[in-house]
Amino acid sequence: MEWLQKISITCFAASYLVVFGIELSRVFFQLELRRYIRIAFTAAGLFAHTAFLAYHTQLSFDSQGIWLGSWFGWCLSGAWVLAVVYLWLSLRKPHSLIGMFLLPVTLLLIWFGNSFSDAAPFSPGRAKSVWDMVHSFSMLLGTVVVALGFVFGIMYLIQSRRLKQKRTGSFRLPSLEWLNMWAERTLIGSTVLLCGGFASGIALKMVQQTSTPSSAVGEGSIPWSDPVIWTSAVLFLWLLTATIISTFYKPARRGRKVAYVVTISFLFLMLELVIVWQVGHATEQQAFGNSRADIVAFRSAKVAFFRGAKDDNLGGIS
Amino acid sequence: MNLQVIGCSHHHSSVSVREKLAFTEDQVRSFLDKYHQSFPKSEAVLLSTCNRTEFYAAGKSADGVPSSQQMIEFLADNRGLKTGEISNSLFAHQDRAAIAHLFSVAASLDSMVVGEAQILSQVKQAYQLAVDTGHQIPLTHQVFQTAMKVAKRVASETDIHTTRVSVPSVAVNVLTKKIFERLADKRILILGAGKMAEETLTYIAANGGKDIVVTNRTRSRAEGLAEKFKGQIAHWDDLDKQLIDADLIVSTTGATEPVVTHEQFKSVAQKRREKTLLILDLAIPRDFDSKIGNYESVYLYTLDDLQKECEKNRQSRQSQWPKAQKIVEQETANFFQDVHRRNSGSTIALLKKQANEVKNSELERLLGRLDRLTPEQEAEIEQSFHRLVNKLLHPPLKSINADQSSEAGGLLDAMKRLFQLGD
Repeated sequence: MEWLQKISITCFAASYLVVFGIELSRVFFQLELRRYIRIAFTAAGLFAHTAFLAYHTQLSFDSQGIWLGSWFGWCLSGAWVLAVVYLWLSLRKPHSLIGMFLLPVTLLLIWFGNSFSDAAPFSPGRAKSVWDMVHSFSMLLGTVVVALGFVFGIMYLIQSRRLKQKRTGSFRLPSLEWLNMWAERTLIGSTVLLCGGFASGIALKMVQQTSTPSSAVGEGSIPWSDPVIWTSAVLFLWLLTATIISTFYKPARRGRKVAYVVTISFLFLMLELVIVWQVGHATEQQAFGNSRADIVAFRSAKVAFFRGAKDDNLGGIS
Repeated sequence: MNLQVIGCSHHHSSVSVREKLAFTEDQVRSFLDKYHQSFPKSEAVLLSTCNRTEFYAAGKSADGVPSSQQMIEFLADNRGLKTGEISNSLFAHQDRAAIAHLFSVAASLDSMVVGEAQILSQVKQAYQLAVDTGHQIPLTHQVFQTAMKVAKRVASETDIHTTRVSVPSVAVNVLTKKIFERLADKRILILGAGKMAEETLTYIAANGGKDIVVTNRTRSRAEGLAEKFKGQIAHWDDLDKQLIDADLIVSTTGATEPVVTHEQFKSVAQKRREKTLLILDLAIPRDFDSKIGNYESVYLYTLDDLQKECEKNRQSRQSQWPKAQKIVEQETANFFQDVHRRNSGSTIALLKKQANEVKNSELERLLGRLDRLTPEQEAEIEQSFHRLVNKLLHPPLKSINADQSSEAGGLLDAMKRLFQLGD
């Protein structure tokens, strides 16, 4: 399957960029044909994106790693889910300018992933368990759902503001009711998923500690001082509280309140991701207990892994 | 084909004239029956709406179709009027102009509210009534079917139908859709029971609104409106309770003071618990205090706000008008070319047949006189006669084909007379 190797990030990123350009042009003039071009470009981009992910997942399985467990794979997988959601929404709500809000987040994730294509996986050199998989998928989907909630929340606030200002012109967004319903659903969905991610992360940590007695962290305890852990806990508690309140107190889930909650959740998430990036959650320093020799050995292994992947890829990662 | 249309519309005729010429369905049937008795060689369709009455007559030859004056007299006679009473208010078009007019009417370019969709169904209905009378109408069938096709083309290739221009239609079809995903599960409260309320309710019902509550100071009027739209009636004194439960309020009362004050709404807002509320205050003077619109979950739109949107849409439709008109012109030209092609096809066939008969008879006579011809020589002579006929026919056939694009059709008649082709 040589053609798979030739698909690069540029292929699908360019397709999404064209779709974003088309979305922007919808504000200025109407053209029925544009809808079909938009859907065709999205489908083409998604196809290339899927093929790219499939090829790299295969590579990561060959090298006994979880590709999803790196910034590169994590961001590109998240972007893929968002692109699928966009395609679905553009078929379901063809007249709404959803792409104008959703595609920048998708493109940003692709750019972010591409910028960290050489960064180490989150947990290198460790045997992969079910907990790893559950943790990775829950956190990935949780993050995507929070990002979606943010997009719906922002659209709600803009639509609400425009209607308050009596501006009912050609800038088409979904109805307030629809946006409110989906913002609420993303709030509940992200709470469940991040709960799963957080719980599986704790389980993973505990399994790790029992299997590695020489761990730098105290046996049987959760390292709450780890900024990644406590910010995750804060985000999870925030989502849980917001979900409980909005479930039992009607006014909290009506109007702009849900939009504000999902927007704040996204800002929390961004903060957490910055901390994960800065501190290096479960990365080389944590995995090898800051041992200089281990870090050097790990870096050599990492370089070899990515060099091998890139050689196979014939420079596909652009 | 010969087509005539006479009629009146909102453009040049007063309501009083239009009223006199308005027909019910039964009256249309009776009118068409009488027409076919008087003019058996022609076809007729009568289109009667609140804004126009148009009487179309068509026939294969000009002598079978009544003149426009005869049509006016027939129409006036049928309505029990004197010709002079209506003749100045009527328009008359023939052939190409008549076809172009029908296409414009069906495409809603001639309507009072340009782009309104109702006219197409009224044109269809008029055609169907003509069919139902049992008389053969092959010519008008062709014209009306094309008119419907033109209307659909205008609708799909322009935005003339997409924007709404009346206040109730903008309010329901544009504004409510920006706030509510569906109206079926929404409580709709109607304050007042006038014409504006009724028109708005028509759009609400068309968009799936079911849970309708009507309240009015005069209960009998509310009852009539509630019955028509299968809604409930609420007592005017229960207004606050209704305000708490409503999702959409349409207010059209004739009250001179606000019906709902800010003070009154304060307690209502508390009990609504942030539930989204759209208020369409279509009354003059306004029924709702403007401060009510300051509540976060309340979207208050007045008649002025909606009229601005209507005006924008009217301008947008106006910008689409030339594009739509161009489609009508194109389709009219295509229609005439088709008709002409069909007519000229039969004339050309007759001409060729006649020429071949002459050629064959002369060829037979000549070959009978010439003895000892080889089969090659016979074939050569036949070929020569064939070429001669073709060369003689080529210039007139070329002229007929050229005449198709000019749509004059005069040459075809001249050809028929010149060569005595008959029908």
